[in-house]
Amino acid sequence: MPAIFTPSANLAAAVTLLAIATIGLGAVAWWWAWPRTDYARHVRWPLSQPVPFSHQHHVAGLGLDCRFCHATVEVSANAGLPPTSTCMTCHSQVWTNAAALEPVRRSLANNTPIAWHRVTDLPDYVYFNHSIHIAKGVGCPSCHGEIERMPLTYKAKSLTMQFCLDCHRAYRGANRRLTDCSICHR
Amino acid sequence: MSEMSVIASRGATAPTVGSMTDDISAITLHWRRPLWWLLTIAATGLLTSVLVVAIGWLFYAGIGIWGIDWPVVWGFAIISYVWWIAIASGGTFISALFYLLQVEWRTSLNRVAETMTLFAAVCAGIYPILHLGRPWLFYWLFPYPSTMGIWPQFRSPLLWDFFAILTYVISSILFWYLGLVPDLATLRDRATTRRQQVFYGVLALGFRGEDRQWRHYRAAYGVLAAIMAPLVISVHSIVGLDFAGAATVGWHSTQFPPFFVFGALLSGFAMVLLLVVPLRRLLRLESYITQRHLDVLSRLMLMSSLLVGYAYIMDVFSVFYSSEHVERVSFMAKIHGDYAPIYWATIVLNIAIPQLLWLRRARVNELLIVLVSLGIIVGMWCERYTIVVMSVRRSHLPSAWGNYHGTFWDWATLWGTVGLFLTGMLLAVRYIPIVSMFEMRSLLQKRRTPPGDSP
Amino acid sequence: MSPLKRPWRSLAEWESDPQFLARAAQEFPGLAEALASAHSRRQVLKLMAAAFAMSGIAGCDAGAPGGRLIPAVKSPPGIVPGLPNYYSTAHVIDGFATGIRVAHQMGRPIKVEGNPLHPASLGGTDVVSQAQVLEFYDPDRAAALAFRRHPSDRQSFLAAWTRQRRSLMNTGGEGLRILTGTITSPSLAAQLDAVLTRYPHARRHQWEPISRDNVRKGAQLAFGQGVDLVPNLSAVDVLLAIDSDLLSSAPGHLRFARDLMSRRNPTRIPKMSRVYAVEPTPTLTGAVADHRFIASPGELQWLVAGLAARIVRGESPPDLPPWIAAVSADLMANRGRALVHVGPDQPATVHALVHAINESLDARGKTFYFIEPVAYAADQSASLSELVDDMRAGSVNALFIIDSNPVFAAAGALGFAAALERVPFSVSLSLHPDETFSATTWSLPMTHAWESWGDARAFDGTATVLQPQAFPLYDGYSPHQVLALLNDADAPVDSLSLVQATWKTADWHESLATGVVPGTASKKANPTLRVAGMRESLSAARPASLTLILRPDPYIWDGRYANNAWLQELPRPLTRLTWDNPLLIAPALARRLSLTNGDEVRLTVGEARVVAPVWIQPGQHSDSVVALLGFGRSAGGSIANGGGVDYYPLLGHTGTPTLVKTGRRAELASTDHHNLILNVAGDLIKHGRLTDYQQNAHFLRKDEPPAHLYRWHPEGPAEWAMSIDLNTCIGCNACVVACQSENNIPVVGKQQVIHEREMHWLRIDRYWEGEPDSPRSLFQPVLCMHCEQAPCEVVCPVGATVHDSEGLNVMVYNRCVGTRFCSNNCPYKVRRFNYFAYAQEEHRLPESRNPDVSVRARGVMEKCTFCLQRIAEARIAADRENRPVGTVTTACQSACPTQAISFGNLRDPSSEIVRRKRSPLDYALLAEQNTHPRVTYEARIDNPNPALTTRRRGA
Repeated sequence: MPAIFTPSANLAAAVTLLAIATIGLGAVAWWWAWPRTDYARHVRWPLSQPVPFSHQHHVAGLGLDCRFCHATVEVSANAGLPPTSTCMTCHSQVWTNAAALEPVRRSLANNTPIAWHRVTDLPDYVYFNHSIHIAKGVGCPSCHGEIERMPLTYKAKSLTMQFCLDCHRAYRGANRRLTDCSICHR
Repeated sequence: MSEMSVIASRGATAPTVGSMTDDISAITLHWRRPLWWLLTIAATGLLTSVLVVAIGWLFYAGIGIWGIDWPVVWGFAIISYVWWIAIASGGTFISALFYLLQVEWRTSLNRVAETMTLFAAVCAGIYPILHLGRPWLFYWLFPYPSTMGIWPQFRSPLLWDFFAILTYVISSILFWYLGLVPDLATLRDRATTRRQQVFYGVLALGFRGEDRQWRHYRAAYGVLAAIMAPLVISVHSIVGLDFAGAATVGWHSTQFPPFFVFGALLSGFAMVLLLVVPLRRLLRLESYITQRHLDVLSRLMLMSSLLVGYAYIMDVFSVFYSSEHVERVSFMAKIHGDYAPIYWATIVLNIAIPQLLWLRRARVNELLIVLVSLGIIVGMWCERYTIVVMSVRRSHLPSAWGNYHGTFWDWATLWGTVGLFLTGMLLAVRYIPIVSMFEMRSLLQKRRTPPGDSP
Repeated sequence: MSPLKRPWRSLAEWESDPQFLARAAQEFPGLAEALASAHSRRQVLKLMAAAFAMSGIAGCDAGAPGGRLIPAVKSPPGIVPGLPNYYSTAHVIDGFATGIRVAHQMGRPIKVEGNPLHPASLGGTDVVSQAQVLEFYDPDRAAALAFRRHPSDRQSFLAAWTRQRRSLMNTGGEGLRILTGTITSPSLAAQLDAVLTRYPHARRHQWEPISRDNVRKGAQLAFGQGVDLVPNLSAVDVLLAIDSDLLSSAPGHLRFARDLMSRRNPTRIPKMSRVYAVEPTPTLTGAVADHRFIASPGELQWLVAGLAARIVRGESPPDLPPWIAAVSADLMANRGRALVHVGPDQPATVHALVHAINESLDARGKTFYFIEPVAYAADQSASLSELVDDMRAGSVNALFIIDSNPVFAAAGALGFAAALERVPFSVSLSLHPDETFSATTWSLPMTHAWESWGDARAFDGTATVLQPQAFPLYDGYSPHQVLALLNDADAPVDSLSLVQATWKTADWHESLATGVVPGTASKKANPTLRVAGMRESLSAARPASLTLILRPDPYIWDGRYANNAWLQELPRPLTRLTWDNPLLIAPALARRLSLTNGDEVRLTVGEARVVAPVWIQPGQHSDSVVALLGFGRSAGGSIANGGGVDYYPLLGHTGTPTLVKTGRRAELASTDHHNLILNVAGDLIKHGRLTDYQQNAHFLRKDEPPAHLYRWHPEGPAEWAMSIDLNTCIGCNACVVACQSENNIPVVGKQQVIHEREMHWLRIDRYWEGEPDSPRSLFQPVLCMHCEQAPCEVVCPVGATVHDSEGLNVMVYNRCVGTRFCSNNCPYKVRRFNYFAYAQEEHRLPESRNPDVSVRARGVMEKCTFCLQRIAEARIAADRENRPVGTVTTACQSACPTQAISFGNLRDPSSEIVRRKRSPLDYALLAEQNTHPRVTYEARIDNPNPALTTRRRGA
């Protein structure tokens, strides 16, 4: 009775099995690694903004305090994004004709807000509160990185839940368990 | 008493090693496209497509399309899941446990039993995922290093249920396939067309029946069987723990794990009988699956029916022995509440009717056996309905009492899985030897040669 | 205990009803509506799948930041993103004001709180004012000015009006009529007077569908002058409430509830008050009463007459029911500390009699006082029928209907709609494009009370300036603006200056800040009783025939709130019905006509005829049929339309009503149809008598709390807990709506309620005890108990519900995969599941949601969080300043008019909650489950009259 397969079939079989195994393991590895990549998290990924605002220039250069623009960071959950009027406190005097600032002037003139692109986005079911972090000495760089070195703002940290927990596990304020789900989720 | 032996050993039907292999392999290799097969698979195929539609609609519209409500938050999904997984475990019991016990009559049944186990387990495996409110997140039950930095909760019976069913499905597939390999090799060698040769040749994984291969094979099969046998117990005890672990009225009972295992055996044997009786006629296997088999299976079924009966009695006993007023009210609602018929159906179908099997005349009456088994399959479903729905309907706070009834989509999903199961069985009948040839061979050898120098 | 004492939940259980499971017989329920609602569900599902599947991997930040951040151009003053602002105003219904404070986020009104400084609120709110958030954002509000139902604009309206006005000026306003609701607003009144002076022949009509004429007439009859009676219930030792609306709808009912119930918990006050109620159909007052007597409307007059005879003239008329003697004796024994109150449905003569009784009980100045009438006095029903007659006669040339819906509510014998067609120039000003809006020649959208300035007065006359909470969402007129038009078409219409002009003497800013204009309470009146005219009314007949009682629905009132989904789906206190208003009939009547819940009947009164399902109301007099008005709207909005039955056509028709079974059945969504009774209510709602309590304060503590191996104590700095006082709970549901509003709880709709999928985190269980004809009702608010040994926590495979370090049982929605095991394991069944994407499918603007609470997705479990968002705010504020956490008030607690709910930190020894937990009446629900709930109850104590306790109570 003639053989059905050539001897090479043995090799083929072995290779196939091996391939299946590798693909399987690869998939698992990718599934684990992908969400941890800076790419997936959009880390160090400068966004083009309607106005090319440079934290580097304003913070490192001019030495403006964060709170000058993000005024409510100490009292509220929201740090507060500066209204156009805040920009114009200075820019009605300096760089009054700069082309780059045209959108700002237009915004004030037509009373239409500037729509900035989000750099970080908090999901609706997470309730982050800026004021308590500031009050407890967790400075802006802890999450936003060396903002004063950013010509264009980008996300500096992964800001995954793991990232939050790394701190919350390490510290416990006023004998409060900071890993309670109720600390962030409502 | 020939017709009571595991193999007909007289007259024309007396099979030899050769004739047996001829008969069995012919079923698949020289398939005669019987009408009954075409018709049934058309029907079951239709049912299976109903399942596909039902699942699609579920994912699209949401779990609200089912009848579940407040307070009855578990419904058909859990009922049918327990029902299927029980049927599955019965099969493994026959194929694995009796293998370890060297029960020889098992030989011609184990392939049917294993195949049944496989597809029943698949049907069962679908449900826990469909059951979730957000099925696309089912993998959160799996302990993997997520960027959320949190793990599943290992105290929950549901989690262990998830592991158990996963292990069970995987190992049943392995067990089934490994048992298949020598027969696939036989089919490969006997195949006449090139296509068959390649098809079975690839599946046979180059098994050539060398001595070395046989030695490894038997070792591997033995080990797997040794793993499977306890799995039957574990998987169903854990399903039982899903309920026993809860503080819910009617569930919070220590007897649930063994109770569920008994139920598994009963429904398993019933399903095997339900499949074997018609198959042996349709596929002319009378000389391999004999009256003796039906007889033995019926006895087993009777035995497990008695075990289940014992569990029911203990259930009643614990209700009235305990001082729990709530338990009593809930039980009363079971036996003469709105859904009392379902409870009584459970008792009649699972306990009363099977008592017929005390009579030998009943045990050899194939039609009767089929009816009894069918009754048990239905009865077991009713039992799960009683457990899952009725308990939650009457919980501690009267203000939280409710009603429940399945919707069209509940039924569609249930019948869909039935279709899936039967389609699987029919395809198996068509493409794989439905009786384990190599084990039959060794059995016949043993017959021929005096014990001691069997291969 | 005897079978009669065995408490029960619904009559279906009482008389084991074959129809009870009719629903289960349906072939494929769910399919139809699933298919129907599928389309809207498509987008939602996509969103869910995308957002949540991603979050599974991502976590704290959706990874790819989408969307924009849009800051203001100039930041509005006083608004800090993320911090709430509060502005005081008042909610006005039928002219009377209840003070509220509206919470804003980023300038959006999102929550109503009571105003502690307002006499009619004292910090509590009622259901309707809570639901104003939804009312304000209602997408169905009238948005465009219309001329004969066709879109038009202000210019053409003004043009038309100016033409009209010219002719009116010449004739001195001949045929000019203005129809308004009850008016207490000084500014509006002033404007109206101005109109009348400008057009001498013009007439004003004041009318509310739910009339209080009898109250006014009664005072007229008794004192020959209009006076308002202001009860001082905290001083009342013995109260007799005759078909009274003290706790439900009387102007100032929140205040009355607070005062009355402040005397009901023996652990807090030296002397517990005693309440008698006599009524034809159960009311909230009857539910809290120590003795509740049932009498048909006809009998009531006769009983009151008898009571008057005993108390006023010391006679003892024959064949009165024995209890009258005991009650009148008790009242007379408590001279100066007793009060008799009668509801607006009773005729003026009864009111007059009751005035006489109160006088001879020497109650004036002690348990009540008189004030000058708060509202502009008018015989409303007469006033309206006058108007309609003139309209029919064709003598009405121009009619202004201001914030009133007579076409719907003055249907029936009066036939307003028909008459309206004979008016050449009619203008309606309505919040919704309602029946009247579409029947007038000109239809003006009205601004919501939160969109314009105004003022109104409370039951005691105290005035409140209504300040706008937001810019108008739609281009609407305020009543002030319309009246200004009447005065002078070209004048600038500015409601602010109008109102300011009214209150120029008062401290404007303080009035706005406090929500009360100081020193505006009405002058006390001191009328003298006219004894004449009392005698003949004593010989009141005693008809024993079926009588129809038309009442407003407790929540959607006369129909004006019918488009408010919160109110539609709120279970009515005693029937637990939602979305519907079947005829309420007595069990006896039901037996006689062999009717069961949901059976449809044809109700005929005179020549008017209505087809409606019936609902069996235990404790109702067999001679009375109760129909709740307000449902069956034809132009009420997408929520209101078609729901329930419109009984207004029956108005004004006389004759004994007849009920004929049609044989058809209707599906009614009552959250009670699955609520039966299991063990005696004594275990669930512990209750006893004052006498027993006085002998042994701990008499309800059958056994000590069971021993436990793992008593668990939170490690955190706080330990939150709640105590609910069943003595003071009146079952008004204010807490339920407050919770719904605070926590973005979705409305699910009638079908889903029928499927037993209602979502309220907080429910008020109502148990009946006794026999169907005269049971007693017991209320029990049930919410998540936040057990220390929570059964739900151990069974969740993904750890989506866990305990936090302050003792809270936390539900993490975004971790939930929806196994629903937790709900199975919850003995209290307080967990609610999103079977569909309820929140996303709601008929509601997203702006109206509370931004501090996650909106739950399809397929997740949810439940009471103890208002975690409020706790978190307090926690963060405290930690910022490194001080212990301060007081937190939950939404239900702050809404409760009677302060039945107390919440706080057990670690703070000075807190109210610690005191309440020490109460001898404190007990845990299902204590034998050993879950150690953080919510406990104070058992209910009754103060029955020893002279009556020999008889079965409640009878």
